[in-house]
Amino acid sequence: MSAQPTEIKLHQQSRTLEIVFDDGAAFKLPYEFLRVYSPSAEVSGHGPGQEVLQVGKRDVGVTALEPVGSYAVQINFDDGHDTGLYTWERLYSMGKNQEALWQDYLDRMTAAGASREPLPGNKK
Amino acid sequence: MSFSDTDVQGALKNLIDPNTKKDFVSGKSVKNVKVSGSDVSLDIMLGYPAKSVMDEIRAMVEAHLKKSLPGAGKISVNASSKVVPHAVQRGVKLVEGVKNIIAVASGKGGVGKSTTAVNLALALAAEGARVGVLDADIYGPSQPTMLGISGQPKSVDGKSLEPMTNHGLQAMSIGFMIDSEDTPMVWRGPMVTQALDQLLHQTRWDDLDYLVVDLPPGTGDIQLSLAQKVPVTGAVIVTTPQDIALMDARKGLKMFEKVGIKIVGIVENMSTHICSKCGHEEHIFGAGGGEKMCADYNVEFLGGLPLDIRIREQTDSGNPTVVADPDGKIAKEYKQIARRIAVKVADMAQDHSAAFPKIVVQNT
Repeated sequence: MSAQPTEIKLHQQSRTLEIVFDDGAAFKLPYEFLRVYSPSAEVSGHGPGQEVLQVGKRDVGVTALEPVGSYAVQINFDDGHDTGLYTWERLYSMGKNQEALWQDYLDRMTAAGASREPLPGNKK
Repeated sequence: MSFSDTDVQGALKNLIDPNTKKDFVSGKSVKNVKVSGSDVSLDIMLGYPAKSVMDEIRAMVEAHLKKSLPGAGKISVNASSKVVPHAVQRGVKLVEGVKNIIAVASGKGGVGKSTTAVNLALALAAEGARVGVLDADIYGPSQPTMLGISGQPKSVDGKSLEPMTNHGLQAMSIGFMIDSEDTPMVWRGPMVTQALDQLLHQTRWDDLDYLVVDLPPGTGDIQLSLAQKVPVTGAVIVTTPQDIALMDARKGLKMFEKVGIKIVGIVENMSTHICSKCGHEEHIFGAGGGEKMCADYNVEFLGGLPLDIRIREQTDSGNPTVVADPDGKIAKEYKQIARRIAVKVADMAQDHSAAFPKIVVQNT
């Protein structure tokens, strides 16, 4: 089995999810990063190349974490998005590749001429 | 010559329980050691049901103590077993009245999952455990026929169902709710998972050590919702030795790994064919497939069962082999597999490494 998390901390002020794994790895993942890389079909599509660019999520918040079996959490964001199941494996790889993924997101945002700035009325 | 509690514990540290392959002290089985003068008394508390070998274990412990404590007087050993409840992940509610849930699954259909599930449940019960069977095959329920149960479950409070019983097992199946044997459940996925949820949670299971869940084949809706919403202790994979079944069994195993459910081990069904005329035993589906899969994925090979006409006849008639021929060779094999499962489950109950992580919300 891959690495198992031992603790998940939600830092609500700084909007960061801190996760510690049993192999010693620890990551701080901003809510916005988690939200724009949600594994849900709405965001990731049903395969590579089907991703939908998420914009205006800079200030997104997390309202709840729901355990799914013993292998994942379902993150409920305050913009109403709650269909992503974040498996331990995915959270680990998101943590490990955080910089590259984030840079890729920013590049795609620039290319699309979109903004991270929240749109008015985006909150539920 | 005199000796103390520590000497008794020390002596038992060198005695290996043949079922767990661990010594009795580190297996935390030794309780209540009392030494008075040269007499010794103690309790052996096993974490798995073992009625059929209890006397053997008691005799073994007594003989070992006699040998390692020279000068000992009367040695009395009281052996019993108590199944420990499995620690479940946070967020998933423990099912009321159930200590451990064992899922019996396969990738392929027709490998004998239901037959194996019912016989293993009966074997666990024969070893002294309280056992239930949940038939999670909504489209093709087989447990009512295999357990020889007909009729509809009663409800005492109008909200929950009393499990049906036979052969000392508690059972629940969608098959009890439908009017006739040929009524199909023409349902889409969400209805099916809802039904499973109700069968599991709205049955008044009465103090079960083990609930054996007989899963349908495949890696779809039912399996996924079991993994997400039900506190499963571990899964047993049933396969036949042929490549085509092993291929799907591998997928079943991988699915459980993906969703964080531990694999108890693999049972190879139809390992050999025993000719009902001459008794000749032959590997008609190939040999060693189950063992090889176990080696590949580093899981335990729990045992193999023959393709024997009696298993089919007895199970089809509502008297599975373990109750139809309790002292026969096949029943013995089922009991041994059941004991291996129970030992493994007892180990898992104490292992919290895969428990759900702590979630903390902070205002920082």
